[in-house]
Amino acid sequence: MKQKSLIAFYKFSVTATFMFSRQRLFWLSAPYDLPGSDARFLRAVRENCAYHIRRCPEYRTICQTLRFTPETLETMDDLAKLPVLPTLFLKRRAVFSMPEWRMAMRVTSSGTSGRFSRVGFDWGCIFAEIPMILRLGFYHGLVSPKPAHYVVLGYKPGKQDRMGVARTMFGLTHFAPPLSRTYALRWQGERYVPDLDGAVSGLEKLANARFPTRIVGFPSYLWFGLQQAEKMGLQARFPRGSKILLAGGWKQHYAQEVEKPRLYALAQRVLGIGEADIHELFGAVEHPIFYNTCKYHRFHVPAYARVLIRDVETLEPLPMGQTGLVNLISPLICATPVTSVMTDDLGRLTPGEDCGCGLRSPCLTILGRVGLPDITTCAAGAADLLGKGEAF
Amino acid sequence: MILANGTLLPDQRLAQVLDGLEEEINETLAHRALETETVVDACARLLARLENGELSSLLARYATPNMLEVLERYRPLLRRESLEYKLAVELGGWERTGPRPFGRSLTVPLGTLFHVTAGNLDGLPAFSALEGLLTGNVNLVKLPSGDPGLSLALMKRLTEEEPRLAPFLYAFDIPSQDAASLRKLAGLADGAVIWGGVEAVKTLRQLVPAGCRLIEWGHRLSFAYLSGRPAREELDALAAHIVQTGGLLCSSCQVVYLDTDDFDAAEAFCRTFLPVLERAAQTSRRTAGQTAQATLYAYETFLEKAVDTPQARVFRGRGCSLTLCPDEELELSPLYGNVLVKRLPQPQLLAALRRQKGQLQTAGLLCPPEDRENLTELLLRAGLTRVTSVGHMSAPFPGEAHDGMYPLRQYLRVADVEDVRA
Repeated sequence: MKQKSLIAFYKFSVTATFMFSRQRLFWLSAPYDLPGSDARFLRAVRENCAYHIRRCPEYRTICQTLRFTPETLETMDDLAKLPVLPTLFLKRRAVFSMPEWRMAMRVTSSGTSGRFSRVGFDWGCIFAEIPMILRLGFYHGLVSPKPAHYVVLGYKPGKQDRMGVARTMFGLTHFAPPLSRTYALRWQGERYVPDLDGAVSGLEKLANARFPTRIVGFPSYLWFGLQQAEKMGLQARFPRGSKILLAGGWKQHYAQEVEKPRLYALAQRVLGIGEADIHELFGAVEHPIFYNTCKYHRFHVPAYARVLIRDVETLEPLPMGQTGLVNLISPLICATPVTSVMTDDLGRLTPGEDCGCGLRSPCLTILGRVGLPDITTCAAGAADLLGKGEAF
Repeated sequence: MILANGTLLPDQRLAQVLDGLEEEINETLAHRALETETVVDACARLLARLENGELSSLLARYATPNMLEVLERYRPLLRRESLEYKLAVELGGWERTGPRPFGRSLTVPLGTLFHVTAGNLDGLPAFSALEGLLTGNVNLVKLPSGDPGLSLALMKRLTEEEPRLAPFLYAFDIPSQDAASLRKLAGLADGAVIWGGVEAVKTLRQLVPAGCRLIEWGHRLSFAYLSGRPAREELDALAAHIVQTGGLLCSSCQVVYLDTDDFDAAEAFCRTFLPVLERAAQTSRRTAGQTAQATLYAYETFLEKAVDTPQARVFRGRGCSLTLCPDEELELSPLYGNVLVKRLPQPQLLAALRRQKGQLQTAGLLCPPEDRENLTELLLRAGLTRVTSVGHMSAPFPGEAHDGMYPLRQYLRVADVEDVRA
């Protein structure tokens, strides 16, 4: 009995040490100070990785096959040696480093071609995410004590709903105290259907409300929604402090560069919400780091993550500026070995200094999805859902 | 989008179209007949427009480079001579109406066909509909989810080319989850033509009412069988096939079987074949995205095998890979230029393949000429429906059967009419 409790205490203390290194990283006060956080980041990654090796047999086997041990991580350059799990791997099998009863929740990614990643979230992860989200939320001016109405261009998450996107959108309705929430997608019989008329009449009402409104949704849905609203003659002027928060998975952000200015102009025309009040956010279920756009609408890598771009043929890390597969690294999660993951996106890093917004951490641009012969715009997905594609 | 009677409508009109569909179809069946010649003519005219460049703006809008390649490959099959040849091979002799002791027999269209098409081959929905039209049926096509619009555009153009086809052609962009609409369409059909994987077939079987003829073009598995010492150019052809089809077609090579029991010999083959495959990958892939996908799948396979089958050996190349497996099962490869290699000596061949009966399609056979006849016979006994050279595994042959059947025959019924003398 005594021995058992000793083992339990040992396990607890090992976990506690790791949790401490992770919390030290996520409670950092400078959210974009990469050089200043290197030491904490490396230590947390090393311990996160050691944790997964101990607890997750599949991850252990992979590390053994690649002859990797956490001690290999001595400098930041060594992060490239971390075994990378493609999200494809996580879609094909569920891998966990702790039993389900110890997790706070399990979330699935929005799957393309019917496959989903299943990612567990431990309590320590949630405890670390809160300061990160608050810190970045304050930094980017998202947090406000003034209550707001919300219009969500998505659907209401159900109790059993494990879709990360619906949860994220719901989470975004908390930066300012919510007065009301209107959803633009309704469950009808067997599927979600867009309720544009409802959303537009909701917006019309809210434009005259005393409190500001925050619109939360995918960029593509906003684009189509606003086009429809414009056709229906909506020309609202929302109270000051109204904002648009654009969230969603990675794939919603492809090839946005061309459309962005048009989208901002449309939002100004239809809603009277200016470019400065449009915030873009992104993250992935496998890498739930709270990426925000700077004032020039670029995603700078925050101190809680590091990003590597890898060669499309050799998977070797590429120098700044070159296009390749996107490898995301963060020691946030204990329940699933997602320390270093590779999405099926192509992207590029550019020096933060080149942006001009004042942030010095590198900018990540997502350029497209692997396998596509050409880059399709996010609009295609929304056109499918809304059935508003142009005639031939 | 919906194509109904030659008109494109937005998806919001679905309920309305479905409500009036039975009446429209009954009207067509009662008063119109579609001559094969009309369909062949329309198709030939559309092809002529395609060939003289009149459709280039449409193609530029809907077709990716990959689609153009597919179109190029299948274009000869749409020529008048090819369609006439197809009709002659599939229906020749069989179709002929004949006097019988009781009166006469004749073949007539099944009536209404409900096509549920798959997205693995661009343009497939249009092709499936064409087979239905050639046999004079009314066709209700469910487009695959995420269809880029090329099929719909081609079908629309076909009805413009020949307005008499319009009442025989409907296409719907219904998601697979919308069981109610699919059940409604199935309820109107005399035959359901189902393309797709095991799950899709199983789901759709439940929607189709009893008495509706089920015509299943389910997923099939194909492989290459190598016996003796292969010539260099034949390996080139096999590598080109693997990379170009990406393993996505029923006729794509999933496993390269070697007629040997020797693991060392199989390893030696992998070392020889890997650079050949690498070269093919480098010449036929155009974008970084396609290379990235192949690399990602190769790396993922490597991790999967490390976890599941440590006995397997993964040979990772640039933008491709070979996985030498310890077993002999025919299974799906990791796709996109990543293929499995397995040992399967001739004496074990039939038993191993029989475990996948019902799934077998093409064998690309590479062997000394003197063994070809015997090996072909053995493969056919095992259940294969096509035996080709390794480079032609996915090549369309004019007049070929489909998974062991002539599709056009499936879309017709034989009717007997007794002569009643007054």
